[in-house]
Parts: sequence; structure tokens; C-alpha cells
Amino acid sequence: MLQDSGFTDVVTGEAVDTFGGAKGEANARAFDVHGYVFMATRPAGHGRR
Amino acid sequence: MADDLPVDPDALRDQVRDKYRAVAVAPGAGYHFHTGRELASRLGYGDGAVGTLPDRAVESFAGVGNPFSLRPLAAGEHVIDVGSGGGFDSFIAAGQVGPGGQVTGVDMTPEMLAKARQTAAALGLGHVEFREGLAEALPVEDGWADVVISNGVINLCADKRAVFAEIRRVLRPGGRLQFADIANGRPVPIEAMRDIDLWTG
Repeated sequence: MLQDSGFTDVVTGEAVDTFGGAKGEANARAFDVHGYVFMATRPAGHGRR
Repeated sequence: MADDLPVDPDALRDQVRDKYRAVAVAPGAGYHFHTGRELASRLGYGDGAVGTLPDRAVESFAGVGNPFSLRPLAAGEHVIDVGSGGGFDSFIAAGQVGPGGQVTGVDMTPEMLAKARQTAAALGLGHVEFREGLAEALPVEDGWADVVISNGVINLCADKRAVFAEIRRVLRPGGRLQFADIANGRPVPIEAMRDIDLWTG
């Protein structure tokens, strides 16, 4: 979706066990939910400000 | 409601606002997610920057990752924090960009905005401000930001394409989006996706 939205150079970080030990852990485990960090760039060269 | 959205955006927004109003006012009440310093440590925020912040700056933090982990911010950068909540990530960003930079947090929950503004004033951070607004309609001019950060917010927005289009609008060409969010490794049934209660808890 990031690339469809016009972003490039998408980088994804390692999965983090965000919900481990929290009340929502069971739901998170059921759907293999983890936290991730993403980085993406708006391409240059299409006007500025 | 657009036909391709699983839930009504306004109804979801109301529910999210209710949930995070509670997190602002009663951060230790116990939610389905972790909060505060324990969460920040779990997500890999260094003790240095977090340790200098007062409890009120950290206690309502409810992120899902560390958006600074892939790349720290640079001195002087202009930063927008989408869904800034109680301001935790905005304060971390403020420390990284320094007084020559500028951080604008945007949130839709009045209690979170009030808390963040009071904390910024108490910390004497003149280069941080908080504005009321939606992720789909950021109150920021085109191309203002060098970096947009967000943490555990976009997953709570029904129309993610609208959010990404808006983030792209406020970023300068060559600017970066650095955000943390949740993703599921197993497919969620469509019935569950249409159950608005499951989006926030």
C-alpha cells in the first residue's frame, strides 16, 4: 500500500512482540499480530512547498 | 461510508477517541495493550532520552514500535507526529532535532492534546506544538515536513489510503515517513474486520 500511495525505498524492521503479557495477548496470538517499524520516502523531483 | 471500507470511519473514530481519552486520563487503568515506561523499554527506546522525561510525558504512551529505530532524526528537521497522543514520541523527536528543528503533533482527542500541551509547556519546549486534527486531514501546509512519524495510529484508521495520501502531501519531496504499526501474519476474517469493537480492543 505504501508503494501504491507513491512512496519508494520501503524498509521494514524486525517484528516486535508488542502485546506479549498484555490483556490483548490472546487476540494478538490468534492472528499472529506483531509490531513493525516502516520507513519510506516521498520521491524527490515533483515540486516543493 | 465508502463501499471498500470495512467499517464506518466516523464510528471508528468515535470509538478510538473514547479509548484514548481514557488512556490520557487514567493511563494506569489496564488496557489490552501495554503503556508507559514499561512499554517504551519493551519497544527498545533507550533509557537515556526516556529517563529525562517526566512521568506525565510517558505514562500515556501506547505505541507499538520505535519509529526512530531505523533512522534517528537529524538536527534541524521539521517533523509531524501523526496521532501524537500524550506527546511521548514528539518529545523524543524534539530532543533529536534540537531547538533548530520543529515538531508538530497532531491528534483528535482533546484530553491527549491538553496533556501534551501542558507537558511541552512544563518542559519549556518552544519548538514543539500540538494541533487538533485528523490523520486524513492534517492541519499542516503542503511539503512542510522533512519527516512524518506515527506510532500505532494508522492501523486505527479505516481509510489507510487516504492517510498515506495526506502524509505524502505534507512531506517535502525526498522526505521520509517513519512509522510503527501492527500487522497480522494470519488473515483476519471479514466478519471480524467489520466488528468495530475488535479494532480498539
